[in-house]
Amino acid sequence: MIEIIENIKKQFEAETEKVKSLSELEELRIKYLGRKGNISNAFSLISDVPAEQKPQFGKELNQLKQQAEAVYNKIEESFKTKSKSLMLDLTLPGRRSFTGSKHPLIQTAEEIKGIFSNLGFVIEDGPEIETDYYNFGALNFPENHPSRDMQDTLFISKDVVLRTHTSPVQIRVMEKQKPPIRMIAPGRVYRRDTPDASHSPFFHQIEGLVVSEGVTFADLKGVIESFAHIMFGKDINVRFRPSFFPFTEPSVEYDFSCVFCRGKGCKVCKGTGWVEISGAGMVHPNVFKSVGYDPKKYTGYAFGMGVDRIAMLKYNINDIRIFFENDVRFLNQF
Amino acid sequence: MKATYQWLKEYADIPDSAEKLADKLTDIGFEVEEIRPLIKEFSGVVVAKVESVEKHPDADKLSICEVNNGKQVFQVICGAPNVKKDQFVPFAQVGATLPNGFAIKKAKIRGVDSFGMICSKEELGVEEKSDGIWELESRYQLGDDFSKILMKNNDYLYDFFITPNRPDCLSIVGIGREIAAIYDKPLRYPSFDVEEDKSLRIEDFIRIEIEDKEGCPRYAGRVIKDVKIGPSPEWMQKKLEAVGMRSINNIVDITNFALMELGHPLHAFDLRNLTGNRIIVRKSAKNEKFITLDEKERILPENTVMICDSERSVAIGGIMGGLNSEVKEDTVDIFLESAYFKPERIRVSSKELGLKTEASQRFERGTDPNGVLKALNRAASLMASLAGGTVVSGICDVYPAEITPDKIPLDCTYVNKILGSDLSEKVIRQKLSGLELDVRKDEIIVPTFRVDLKTEIDLVEEVARLINYSNLPSKRVTNIPYEIEQRPLEKQINLVRQTMINLGLQEALTTSMIRKEEAQFFSDKEPVSILNPVSDDMSVMRNSLFPGLLHAVSYNRNRHNKNLRFFEIGRVFDQIKGQDNLPDQPYKAAVVICGKRYSEGWNTSAEPVDFYDIKGFLESFLDKLFLDNSDIILYDTSSYFDNNLSMNLIVSQQITGACGRFSDKIIKFFDIDEEVYGFEINLDALFRHLDLSRQYTPIPKFPFVERDLAFVLEDSITAKSVADCIRKRGGELLKNLQIFDVFRGGKLGNDKKSLAIRMRFQSAERTLTDKEVDGIFNRIIVKVNKEFNASLRN
Ligand SMILES: [Zn+2]
Repeated sequence: MIEIIENIKKQFEAETEKVKSLSELEELRIKYLGRKGNISNAFSLISDVPAEQKPQFGKELNQLKQQAEAVYNKIEESFKTKSKSLMLDLTLPGRRSFTGSKHPLIQTAEEIKGIFSNLGFVIEDGPEIETDYYNFGALNFPENHPSRDMQDTLFISKDVVLRTHTSPVQIRVMEKQKPPIRMIAPGRVYRRDTPDASHSPFFHQIEGLVVSEGVTFADLKGVIESFAHIMFGKDINVRFRPSFFPFTEPSVEYDFSCVFCRGKGCKVCKGTGWVEISGAGMVHPNVFKSVGYDPKKYTGYAFGMGVDRIAMLKYNINDIRIFFENDVRFLNQF
Repeated sequence: MKATYQWLKEYADIPDSAEKLADKLTDIGFEVEEIRPLIKEFSGVVVAKVESVEKHPDADKLSICEVNNGKQVFQVICGAPNVKKDQFVPFAQVGATLPNGFAIKKAKIRGVDSFGMICSKEELGVEEKSDGIWELESRYQLGDDFSKILMKNNDYLYDFFITPNRPDCLSIVGIGREIAAIYDKPLRYPSFDVEEDKSLRIEDFIRIEIEDKEGCPRYAGRVIKDVKIGPSPEWMQKKLEAVGMRSINNIVDITNFALMELGHPLHAFDLRNLTGNRIIVRKSAKNEKFITLDEKERILPENTVMICDSERSVAIGGIMGGLNSEVKEDTVDIFLESAYFKPERIRVSSKELGLKTEASQRFERGTDPNGVLKALNRAASLMASLAGGTVVSGICDVYPAEITPDKIPLDCTYVNKILGSDLSEKVIRQKLSGLELDVRKDEIIVPTFRVDLKTEIDLVEEVARLINYSNLPSKRVTNIPYEIEQRPLEKQINLVRQTMINLGLQEALTTSMIRKEEAQFFSDKEPVSILNPVSDDMSVMRNSLFPGLLHAVSYNRNRHNKNLRFFEIGRVFDQIKGQDNLPDQPYKAAVVICGKRYSEGWNTSAEPVDFYDIKGFLESFLDKLFLDNSDIILYDTSSYFDNNLSMNLIVSQQITGACGRFSDKIIKFFDIDEEVYGFEINLDALFRHLDLSRQYTPIPKFPFVERDLAFVLEDSITAKSVADCIRKRGGELLKNLQIFDVFRGGKLGNDKKSLAIRMRFQSAERTLTDKEVDGIFNRIIVKVNKEFNASLRN
């Protein structure tokens, strides 16, 4: 009768070799270790075993059961470990989240604001619909003067306009506080321009104003040069040219050496090596008079820059309209 | 303002090349927008003679010509009306290339062969537009290369951007003066001498009277008799054409030439049309009509300066002459006007008339009242020498109140104070006198042509630009001498933006100007509208961020970008008058979402977003702002959302925003084929309650106890009312309440639901006992049972 145990053992060992999956292992378990499995059945044969062999039979059968259980556990364990590494295709993509980002113009504006914050400028804000007085009058644009034609204005009423520049914030801040002033004012501005690759009827500016005793044209040049170097790199040159704005005198138009060809001349700069950035100048004494500052005591400088323009240079974008289409294939690039 | 290098050279010594001069002018404030060779290259064009002209048998307007290039005769079809036998013409032979790149080939025109083309000035790039072929003087040799003839004296054309403060530089002499200052050389003026016929006296021909002395402070004129109207000489035509003016006849060309040369507009009248030998300058009558020389009848704005004779108006002062007195082919005697008009008056009239001319643009910016006679004399003497006229002796000059030059004190320390420079008095004086300013001991006498120089600061700019901005010192920011503190608004907006980004939302920037219909969806109030909009779809100011964001959704979905979650922060505009009588313009933040809830993948569910997604965004947003007094409630919902799927945000008892699903009407209007959800918050209102300061609350040291229970109650009872009731009853120790299951139907029966709620109890001071928690828990059950007639679910 002992050979029955031997047979079961041999059969079990042979079949364990062939187990390839957890389900086959389960079949094996049922076949040998289940309640009606081969080993359990063998226990029921004990009554047929001669009395002198009974202890040995019982002992060996128990040993077989223990061995089978151990083997089963071992195989199961190995399958479970395997299933973690082999049964899953780890090359399948993971579960992703939607991610958002700041609009590229906001990213650019934040970079510019950061630079000026570090240079000690306070960030101010002002309304986008402005009175004629803040947008023009207080900034030394006389009524019925051709200088008003420099900016094609959108009107809400005779005396209320969509601000054509961020310069009205200068007046609002100076009306509220005494020098020293060191501020920038970012925001949206409006012109009556038909949209095309380089024009949008609304765009974004950052205004700068510094007023104190002893502020000079040299300070203005210095701050613009610092900005150019921090924003675009130390090798960027700045060119200052005389210009005309009613609220500054002397007035400046400033250019950066082309950020693409670094001044050698390319398509973006039309071969000139320079890209126009914006205007600046020393605050006109008439502007100080309109806010009640003493132009004999205080001097100051003001500058502007176009955020959209700088972002276009920074990201090599040649059509301003793409900023406002909000195509996610564009926005996702930032 | 256009000018050529050669023309400028007639008045100023220019030791530099044309390109170098362009750079130097840019450096002193005259931006060169374009510089190019006046004549572009071409080849294969020779001087030829027209031997014969015959009508084309099949085309009225075409002629068949025989053209001789000195060696050979070609048959050529020509469409110009002015082609004549024996004319010398520029002839583009087969194989020629014109300046615009056009290649001449043998052609068949209406059945007749043509071997080449007779060219106009336009075709050779010499003028903008030609009426006919270019008739050459007969001094040229037949067969000569015409490109060599033209290129021999090729010139450069500049196009300057002249800022509105410098009308004096809207002339060749004006720019010449700046060039002279650059090179520190004197300017060569043209001659202003006039040879007069002493036997004739102006008083016998014309009398001038100014009624509108405010609008016309000075009016002068001369009479030139017996002119012969004809073409002006080629040199004059060339100059005018180069700077973009068309040659008309010698008299008109001379006034235009003097205008371009000196910057002072003149007008020539036919003397026989001036009734009563009188000129009266007066204001226009009410609703007066007048036909200008462009043959248009115009209704004159009130207060327009009019030039009249004894019976009628003959010109709009400073803007345009009248058809009734213009110089014609048979004109014999000329009255030549040179006047000074008040800039503001010209500007207003020109604007109201919608009529901008070379003259009006100069007068409205300011001409030189004391340059009136120079221009008059220059043109009169040219009319004598080039049109055979006789200049009557004397000038009729009415100038009741002389306009005298301004004086500006000269203070060299002020110049250095503004520029941060260390310029010597000598240098400053030399730079200023280079510009023909009269530099005295302590003051500057400013000639009246410089309308922009009024105060000391204006002199600083003159010095600075002539020194060259690049030669002035630059000073780096080395220290920050006063403390700065950023404004709260900046931090608040940054917090809102960062929170939106953290929620996985994509920032968009959309237009502030929208269609009126769009605005009407989002408010009953009349939107702020623009008087002169760029277009209909940008005619009012946005009263909500939704229109722009919905356009962004539509734009993207049309391009197969389907899963969208946008936010925007920006100002919106409300008709309510705020400060300074301006519309209220609060900042708002808005979110729109549509498409799938999860980023699509093999193991994510493909469900679309629903109301609880947008509400979840709003709740998460509010959580991160730690707004104590905020609540989202069902209330009188906004018209643009679905009635059953929208809620309002309340902050400190004020409606501060709304969230929901956009109505079908809106979705359809914006051409979207998918459900879109959104919320919008008034940030100005929100910020009034936003506390940016943070104080740490210790993390509890003692364990919490959690209890779950499920109530069965009427379906109509809201989860919020139950939760509010439990919170109230639960008191301080109830730290957290979570609705973790909602179940309807089954054994519960109709109109019933089960709400499964998990409660967490915790104390900061001690470990809670079961007895304590049970007490609260039971009170809650009793309270909810009583309040909502709810039963516990088993
Ligand atoms: Zn470049």
